[in-house]
Amino acid sequence: MFVLSASLSVPTDGNFADWVIFLTQEYGGIFLEGCMWTLLIALVGTVAGCVIGFICGSIQTIEIQDTDPLYKKLFIGILKLIFNIYVEVFRGTPMMVQAMVMYYGLPMIGISLAALPCGFLVVSINTGAYMAESVRGGIDSVDIGQFEAGKAIGMKHFEILRFIVMPQAIRNIMPQIGNQLVINIKDTSVLNVISVSELFFAGKTAASVYYKYFESFFIVAVIYLCLTLVISRIIRFIEKKMDGAADYSLESTGSTELKGEV
Amino acid sequence: MAEKKRKEEIVIRVDDLKKSFGNHQVLKGVDFHVRKGDVTCIIGASGSGKTTLLRCLNLLETPTSGQIYFHEQPITKYKMNIEQFRSRMGMVFQSFNLFNNMSVLDNCMLGPIHVLKKNKEEAREEAEKYLEKVGMHPQINAMPHQLSGGQKQRVAIARALCMHPEVILFDEPTSALDPQMVGEVLAVMKEMAQEGITMVIVTHEMAFARDVSTKTIFMKDGSVVEQGSPERIFYNPTSPYTAEFLARFMAG
Repeated sequence: MFVLSASLSVPTDGNFADWVIFLTQEYGGIFLEGCMWTLLIALVGTVAGCVIGFICGSIQTIEIQDTDPLYKKLFIGILKLIFNIYVEVFRGTPMMVQAMVMYYGLPMIGISLAALPCGFLVVSINTGAYMAESVRGGIDSVDIGQFEAGKAIGMKHFEILRFIVMPQAIRNIMPQIGNQLVINIKDTSVLNVISVSELFFAGKTAASVYYKYFESFFIVAVIYLCLTLVISRIIRFIEKKMDGAADYSLESTGSTELKGEV
Repeated sequence: MAEKKRKEEIVIRVDDLKKSFGNHQVLKGVDFHVRKGDVTCIIGASGSGKTTLLRCLNLLETPTSGQIYFHEQPITKYKMNIEQFRSRMGMVFQSFNLFNNMSVLDNCMLGPIHVLKKNKEEAREEAEKYLEKVGMHPQINAMPHQLSGGQKQRVAIARALCMHPEVILFDEPTSALDPQMVGEVLAVMKEMAQEGITMVIVTHEMAFARDVSTKTIFMKDGSVVEQGSPERIFYNPTSPYTAEFLARFMAG
């Protein structure tokens, strides 16, 4: 970078394109690093959020039977209540505010987190709250007959969820997961309030030196757009993969006329 | 006494079974039993409680009162392992309910592997055997959405057979099929009946009930009106309701 920037001169005529090129070369490393953190936080946050969402969403589907023992009714009831409160609180407040509250609030109860781990935590928990609802919807969208068929062969509730219902629910909520990932890529920008050096923060850094806010954030916008475009194409590809082939091959049963027939 | 000795053991006994959904009483005290090897057909008009009765048998519906005994063990009163109980009682649904995310073969292997704890090779061998039996072996790699209704139902029957259940419950297995497919499914069921598999079948296929069942139960408005051998129910019904219900079928 030093070699590169040393050979560059600051554009003097204020031409937009010249400034964009200059800033890209001068702060390419910073943009790249911001880009990396944005992508990493968004990806990890979405995956962790999905895990939280799947746990919450699955628990919400447990039916309490009249015949269940009291401790089980209580335990599941309390668990559902806690998850409900969690979902309401984290869906009902802005992520930027959550970041501030956690970053400055957690040390009060003895948990001191650096900006970056705090950023990961905020995005994960926030995504989890949204995914919990998506997963519940995804499970609800799977035909009740699938549950019943699983029960009828003697499978337990969580076995049915794991082997039969979840794979179908995941396919149904794949567009939502993709959506959430795209939203997270953009929304990690709010983490600049706790000084996480993600892409928006990189843009601010680059802009402040020469007071070139438009040029700097133009570059940032282009990078965000590239990231989200690529990510949504990948998600679409995964969805197609999950749908599987449209046809199937017949198992050869020894009779020659069946061979090659599709 | 000699006759009693000849009779097989009672597998299912239903005693004064009642079921209500809210204020609507669907089953108003049903009594019957199923012996080993019996093919019991439950017939009656739509809404007479046939399906609800069948679903109560493996506790997909919880009875409001009354008792169901499986090998003389009450299944609703005592804490019985419900999963283990269900694994001994197969079920075939009207809407097939094949696991949509799995191939035909995996549909048949899931239960044996996770419930019966068989190893993969054994489960696969068994699954292939039963799929062969229902004539679905060539399609073992197919996904459910690629199959016709009749094919799906035959896979569903193979899936039930793979669990080696003591009884298989059929809930209107042919009601969602066109006439040609009805034939292929009924042929499989007839073969099973001849092999002595215990079956309880809710059906609207009167000819099948008459020819294949060893016992026919006629239900009306949540009660059993009469039960007995198919010859007696079809040709010599004691209740005017049975005669009326069967009149159209017998005329045609």
